[in-house]
Amino acid sequence: MTLRVLVVEDDAAIRGLLCAALAAEGFEVLTAVSVSEATALVAHAPPDAIVLDLGLPDGDGAGLVRAVRSRSAVPIVIASARRDEAGKIALLDAGADDYLVKPFAIGELLARLRVALRHRGSSLQPALRRIERDGVVVDLEARRVTRDGATVHLTPTEFALLARLVRGAGRIVTHRQLLADVWGAEHVDDTHYLRLYMGQLRAKLERSPAEPTLLLTEIGVGYRCAVE
Amino acid sequence: MVPPFASVPGAAWRHAAAALLLLALATGTCALLDRHVSLTSQAMLYLVAVVVAAYACDRVTALASAVGAVTAFNFFFVPPRYTLAVENREHLIALAAMLGVALLVSWLSARVRQASTLAAESERRARQLSALAAELLDANSEAEAAAAGERALRDAFERVVLVTLDAFGGLRGEDGLTLPVRQSLRCAIDEGAAIGPGTGRWPGIDAWVVPIGSPGRVVGAVRIEPASAADESGREHAVALASVIAQGLWRLRAAAAEREAHAALERERLQSTLLAAVSHDLRTPLATIVAAASSLQAQGERLGRDERERMLGSIVAQARHLGDITDNALELVRLAAGPHTLRREWQALEEIVGSVVARLRGGPCGARLEAAVEPALPLVRGDAMLLAQLLANLLDNACRHAGDGPVRIEATRRDGGVAVSVSDRGAGLSADDEARLFEPFARGETRRAGEGAGLGLALCKAIAEAHGGRLAFTRRRHGGSRFTLVLPLEAQPADPGAATDVDTAVASSAEARP
Repeated sequence: MTLRVLVVEDDAAIRGLLCAALAAEGFEVLTAVSVSEATALVAHAPPDAIVLDLGLPDGDGAGLVRAVRSRSAVPIVIASARRDEAGKIALLDAGADDYLVKPFAIGELLARLRVALRHRGSSLQPALRRIERDGVVVDLEARRVTRDGATVHLTPTEFALLARLVRGAGRIVTHRQLLADVWGAEHVDDTHYLRLYMGQLRAKLERSPAEPTLLLTEIGVGYRCAVE
Repeated sequence: MVPPFASVPGAAWRHAAAALLLLALATGTCALLDRHVSLTSQAMLYLVAVVVAAYACDRVTALASAVGAVTAFNFFFVPPRYTLAVENREHLIALAAMLGVALLVSWLSARVRQASTLAAESERRARQLSALAAELLDANSEAEAAAAGERALRDAFERVVLVTLDAFGGLRGEDGLTLPVRQSLRCAIDEGAAIGPGTGRWPGIDAWVVPIGSPGRVVGAVRIEPASAADESGREHAVALASVIAQGLWRLRAAAAEREAHAALERERLQSTLLAAVSHDLRTPLATIVAAASSLQAQGERLGRDERERMLGSIVAQARHLGDITDNALELVRLAAGPHTLRREWQALEEIVGSVVARLRGGPCGARLEAAVEPALPLVRGDAMLLAQLLANLLDNACRHAGDGPVRIEATRRDGGVAVSVSDRGAGLSADDEARLFEPFARGETRRAGEGAGLGLALCKAIAEAHGGRLAFTRRRHGGSRFTLVLPLEAQPADPGAATDVDTAVASSAEARP
């Protein structure tokens, strides 16, 4: 079955390019140029994923994210020229799956879209329980972490942080989401907790902590556990 | 504080009592010594009492005590005793001389007393003026300066109203004032001269109204009550205080104007910098993109496969470069708006260095990059995006000028800070280039035309300074350049639950959880 992607973009040139690139990858592509058109399409021809620009002629894409998210778990990848972290974080917290800042490479968009699609319906399917990368195996089921076959000793907090990232593997998890899930809602502004614990986790899991391959930093926004 | 020269209630009575006591004391002493000393000595004792009374009491009491002393001496001691009559002509002359001396002494003493009171008062006033001047030097705002001035005036006078002129000619602080008070303040400001008793203007009112500043440069006015035409030194002091306050306010206004002029100059420089960015730095990559893309469009299949690949590659690379220039320009504008736009949070340099290196690894310079971050570096407080952009610019700059040599980024602990350095083995810089390095659009002579640092290094410096850090350039001994960013070390935040979060093997607790 062909996956259907809705591209919401008011700039004709970029819309055309995105359509061509997505069609070349075998997606069925729908396009919308406004919030109202997108809302109608989401209701009548539910897409499997949405690529969304923010500044649309009849409203802001952020409102659309909230409206869609209140009704469905369809993956939403934001593709916007806005690069301020606060806006990015707000959209990710509102339920967007990923955020790409224009200009971006098509390859990057396709990769993010694939990750988002894999998490499609994650509320129904069990979340990712086990990942393996560069000799590191994280098995959430068995609460076991090994590196090159040897058990890695983690503190309960380190494990909770790692588990949160692994469950959303491939996706950005914002600072706020991590802090709320691991330390509790009253600690959402204590970003230094993350700096310290991510540093400890990387020291235990990464071959070169300054150039991580598993626990990636999304500058100013959050972290991402790498997949594949 | 007691206003100077104010009449203290009951002071006249205390003076009179003191004078009486002194006379009684002199009379008593003379009576005690009556048998042993001559009239001359007794007269001297009375004179001592007169001198003391003249110095200690006011002028009227002093004169009265002089007359009283001569009368008492005559009554009690000059024969015939206990009458005011004088039997001997010699005694009459002596008494007359004594009265003369007593009056002269009391008059002189009173003058000395008044002079010393005045001297003490003027010294106090001079001290107040210099204290106010010093206080005004420390004032950071006009409101602070006006408040300090008002405090000083209240110390010196009973009732004080101070108003300052705002930028639109309105009176700041005039709310709640009665119409006559407002009118008098306005009049002093308009005329640029003091009004009130003794000034020749508005002598009928019971107040001095003194403008703050000289005619044409008046910045406010002060109204002082009560006022009398006779108190010339009080009026002079009010004028002197007002002129000190005026100097303080002028200084602040001049400083504000200077800051504004400086900011305007900075804005102008930024504007020309951005214009230069559009006209040169943006055009160069655009030219490459247009040339390559139009060549692909027009010549298409006639180009070799390798040639087409090369053109596509340069289109992508130059387009990315355009993106970087745009980002730099945007951030430079954002920083110029002020440091409040910074989103400062605790950051790990390991993460920032790591993500910048990760971004460049895939690029043409990727293989030549070496990264080293000292383990367990302290956290820094900063804007992650801006710090990342700073390091990306430095690395990008180094990559473009390093030839085929390695580019090394290294984060280490420093005295009182954390340092990140980016080093290359490129051609380096001439001394002339070095001096202009951080100016927008400075370019090394040795660099290839069209590939300038442009906005990049200027932005790097602006970011470093906005973080309270600094960016330094050093020429490496065996060729090449090194840029070092030093960020100040701040008190580290508390480690969350380090005591309770004990290191346990997660695997061993597997059975504890489902």
